[in-house]
Amino acid sequence: MSKPEKNKPEWRNPLFVWGSEAEALPTTPFHAPQDVWDAARESKAPLLPVGRMRLYYKWPGHGGLMWNRIRYWPTRRRVLKIRGEYNPKTLRREKTIVDKRPIWWLLGLVALALWPLFTPSGMENTLLTAGATFGIYAAINLCWMLVIGTAGIITLATYAVVGTAAFCTALLSVKFGLPWWMLPPIGALVGLGFGGIIALPAARLDGFYYALLTLGLNELCRVYFTTSKVFGSATGGVYGADTYIPESASQLDQLLIGYYACFALMLLALAFYRLVNGRRLGRILRMAPEKREAFAEATGVNYRGARIWIFIVSSIALGFIGGFYAAHFRGASFSIFNFDTVLLGLAMLVIGGIGRSEGAVVGTLIVVCLDKVLLGLGPMRIIAIGVIMLLVVLYLRNGLFGIKLQYRAWRDKKKSERRSTRTEKGGEILPEEATETPDKDEIYRRRFDKLQRDHLKMLVTPEIIEEHRRTPGGQHSAALERLLTYFRIQPQIDKYSVSVVEPFKAYRIVALSGVRGVAPRVVDDKLYASQDEAFHGVFLRRVQDLLES
Amino acid sequence: MNDAPSPPVERPASATPPREVLNVRGLSAGYGAMRVIHDLDLIVSSGERVGLVGLNGHGKSTLFYAIAGLTGWQRGSIKLNGLEVGRTRSQGPGRYTHEIVRAGLALIPQGDEIFHGLTVEEHLDSGAFTTRAWRERATRKERILEIFPPLKRLMNVPVGRLSGGERRMVSIGRGLMAEASLFLVDEPTLGLAPKIGKSVIDALMDVELGESAMVIAEQNVSVLEGRVDRIIGMHAGKLKGKASAALALEVPGRA
Amino acid sequence: MDIGFFVTNAIVLASIYGTLAIGISITWSSLGLVNLSYAFIFAFSGYGAWLFAQYVTEWGPAVLAAGILSGAFAGIVVCALAFIPIHDKPNFTMRGLVATLAINLIGTQSLLWWFGPRSKSLPEIFGTWKISLGGMPLTADKVGNVLSSVLLLFGVLKWMQSSRRGLEIRAMMMNPHAAAIVGIGVRRTAFYVMAITGGLAGLAAVLLSQTYYISPFGGLTPMIKGVAIALCGGLGSVRGAVIAAILLGFNEALTNVMLGGQYVLITQFLFIIAVLLIRPRGFAGMLDRAREA
Repeated sequence: MSKPEKNKPEWRNPLFVWGSEAEALPTTPFHAPQDVWDAARESKAPLLPVGRMRLYYKWPGHGGLMWNRIRYWPTRRRVLKIRGEYNPKTLRREKTIVDKRPIWWLLGLVALALWPLFTPSGMENTLLTAGATFGIYAAINLCWMLVIGTAGIITLATYAVVGTAAFCTALLSVKFGLPWWMLPPIGALVGLGFGGIIALPAARLDGFYYALLTLGLNELCRVYFTTSKVFGSATGGVYGADTYIPESASQLDQLLIGYYACFALMLLALAFYRLVNGRRLGRILRMAPEKREAFAEATGVNYRGARIWIFIVSSIALGFIGGFYAAHFRGASFSIFNFDTVLLGLAMLVIGGIGRSEGAVVGTLIVVCLDKVLLGLGPMRIIAIGVIMLLVVLYLRNGLFGIKLQYRAWRDKKKSERRSTRTEKGGEILPEEATETPDKDEIYRRRFDKLQRDHLKMLVTPEIIEEHRRTPGGQHSAALERLLTYFRIQPQIDKYSVSVVEPFKAYRIVALSGVRGVAPRVVDDKLYASQDEAFHGVFLRRVQDLLES
Repeated sequence: MNDAPSPPVERPASATPPREVLNVRGLSAGYGAMRVIHDLDLIVSSGERVGLVGLNGHGKSTLFYAIAGLTGWQRGSIKLNGLEVGRTRSQGPGRYTHEIVRAGLALIPQGDEIFHGLTVEEHLDSGAFTTRAWRERATRKERILEIFPPLKRLMNVPVGRLSGGERRMVSIGRGLMAEASLFLVDEPTLGLAPKIGKSVIDALMDVELGESAMVIAEQNVSVLEGRVDRIIGMHAGKLKGKASAALALEVPGRA
Repeated sequence: MDIGFFVTNAIVLASIYGTLAIGISITWSSLGLVNLSYAFIFAFSGYGAWLFAQYVTEWGPAVLAAGILSGAFAGIVVCALAFIPIHDKPNFTMRGLVATLAINLIGTQSLLWWFGPRSKSLPEIFGTWKISLGGMPLTADKVGNVLSSVLLLFGVLKWMQSSRRGLEIRAMMMNPHAAAIVGIGVRRTAFYVMAITGGLAGLAAVLLSQTYYISPFGGLTPMIKGVAIALCGGLGSVRGAVIAAILLGFNEALTNVMLGGQYVLITQFLFIIAVLLIRPRGFAGMLDRAREA
């Protein structure tokens, strides 16, 4: 009997005295389970507090008594979407305003209506003309946003429609002396005709093919009108149409009337946008964006008809605006067909954010301010607008009003990255699960189980397996005993067991179902010749499952 | 896996430990909200041919894509020849793939990503991306044609017109053109008639590995049995079998 | 009607606009980017050639080379600004389009601000000689235009067939995912593609400036014509672009002779709409499989 070495301890078999063959068997050295615990509790990752940032301000008050009952008569619409909840920590009710957009809109429109009262006296001219331009362009962009945002069809022909309507109505007014209030409806008719023309290719083409085609259409209109004598190629446009601004009023009054008329046009356009986008036509278009029409097709929704309708409807609106344009500016000039105008309009949409009416209005505001108010800078101001447009497109996913969504998505990504660097390998509980589990003892039970398994994995060696093979039942060394005790206390569901096929001759391994009345499932069709061998087979399987968990 | 783990074979003390070509530790990868691979560890040494076996959808292709940097997101450490290529990343997939490939990876993906307008010869040329490989491309093409004789008369045919087995050969040949240290072959017999599949596997086994290593993912264990150095099973994004068992059994030495 | 004159006109126009169209096609199918900043690249290379002619030398081929090089430089700048930052971000196609339009806006306005609105002219690149072919006088610029654009285009296409970089570009055109697997870097190849297509735009600019003056916004109409030809031929197919260029060149010459210059665009677009209604993906539409908008 040799002296056991330091790291190869031996277990002295007490049954040797009664005739068992082995006196000493090699076994695993002793490891304290506490070491595993200490090693696991050290954390190398920065432990940030887990929880949710409160992103909504909570107002005091009941939240249901008054706010659920005030309605816009005669509809059942609520004034503001307010949600009232009971806070279990402070034992009070609190309310959150879920959707604050009506408040922003109200403040914004009131500001837009009242700012002319506060203009500094030298700047009235510039500011009020800029304001009028803002109103008209905002209306155009809202109709454009209907096609680009709601229908998802990229089109660059908007200014072609507006310009054609403006030119035709201005010409009619000059030639036949039509009064100003007939111009917008006639413009709407022109728009209808144009809308039919641009709706046709949209049915066959999609995506960029259509966008590039409309670009060409815009260019075509420009060349035609610029070189046509009828439309004033010599004078740079048609001038002299009738206007609604009375000649007799003072300069300031004229500007104010002009501004408020354009503001009213913008409000009409907003109502129109709301009418189309929020109701059936808008819903159909939003459920069937380009390249993803399979679902709409499968449910039988007529999205093709909806697309044709949106072109026609938006073109009618654009034609109406074109007629108003002629009435407001007393004519039309060729600059409306410039490529730069289209690009500026696109800049307004992109900076605001595609798909939202607030994007169209705010984007227009920014670009018109830069363009008309800072006129002194010359071409630099357009370069500035171009630079802002480029930066917005490079860094923001969907313009200024898409920032909230982008920030949320980025924050979710960061949260999940930090969560995964915090979790350890192999089966403890995720921090999110931990805060939301009702029974906190479960967390500790799982942690203890994991530490036990880590410790036991260190005990599995070939010597232990050999020892079990020799004597599956009987006296075991300490390490083997720990392993067996752990295996034996596992729950019964899917626990390995031995089934007798033929007594003393054939045994098979099965897995218990854990449910009364359900037979165990056969794990393997290998037949063992003796009970000891079968027990050893079960032990091997359990060890393998432990190592792989 | 029906076999019980056998005790590890004793290595002679004089042998130098084989160089690790691939060392994956704690890899998790997935697409969006779906996590496909959970905390995976894998070591492949040089000169080894490893078979990765598992059913469809359990993450074999995702593992290969994760090594190449093409998954939606991945976390964990992947070391290719000691160079860390598996940085925690959730940017666009494929951003660094070409750099990883140039560091010595040859990925032969499932279902042959081919360039359907290019001829066979141009395909093989496109695989030689290092300057040395480009200069030597004539000799290398000769070598590949020796491994895959049916391609000899198809050199000028656009690959879009070839049959499945021929396309598979072109795809594998393209992967063999540059000197890669790790070959990841994803389901070489997928969609092929058994005889042709067998010839493709024979060709893969004939490739001289030298210092490189090869991992072949397959659904069908029988074509690989006995011809590869070890077989690992993959189930639900976790490896089962010799990989994890070998790692765990080495732990007592550390204590 | 002088058939010879008409045919030569058509061929000249076809070759110049075809160059632009092929550039747009290649950019779309290899990078997935619709490069609408061509107007800017066009004007920029025109001004580059003019500066070279002003300050260095007036020798024809050198001015042509200067135009091509400045076009390539502008193409690289556009690639760095509009493609590299966003090519793997969500919503790339729309954002790329808008980014190129923004660069166009910035660029043309900068040129306006720097050079002023008056247009400039380039010296005669090909000299003032005339040859007579079968009783039909051919001026130097016509011959020079056709020859140089056809030769350079041919050279570019041949380079794409036979060199390593050309193989990379073609591979990326067909299957960008597989190209990454084979070690072809998207960003490095993108610079090559944009430099080449920028150079082609520069060539077209210098050639067209023999007839039209160089102005900041002068690139707009050629770009739209080039875009129309590329659409008609099928975005992504060089062969389709060549066929469409020839057909539209004839169309333009015909309209010029029969109806007058102002109706050219109308007939062009009617023709294109007709073609696209019959084959929505252009002439060679089936080759566009690798890239869908």
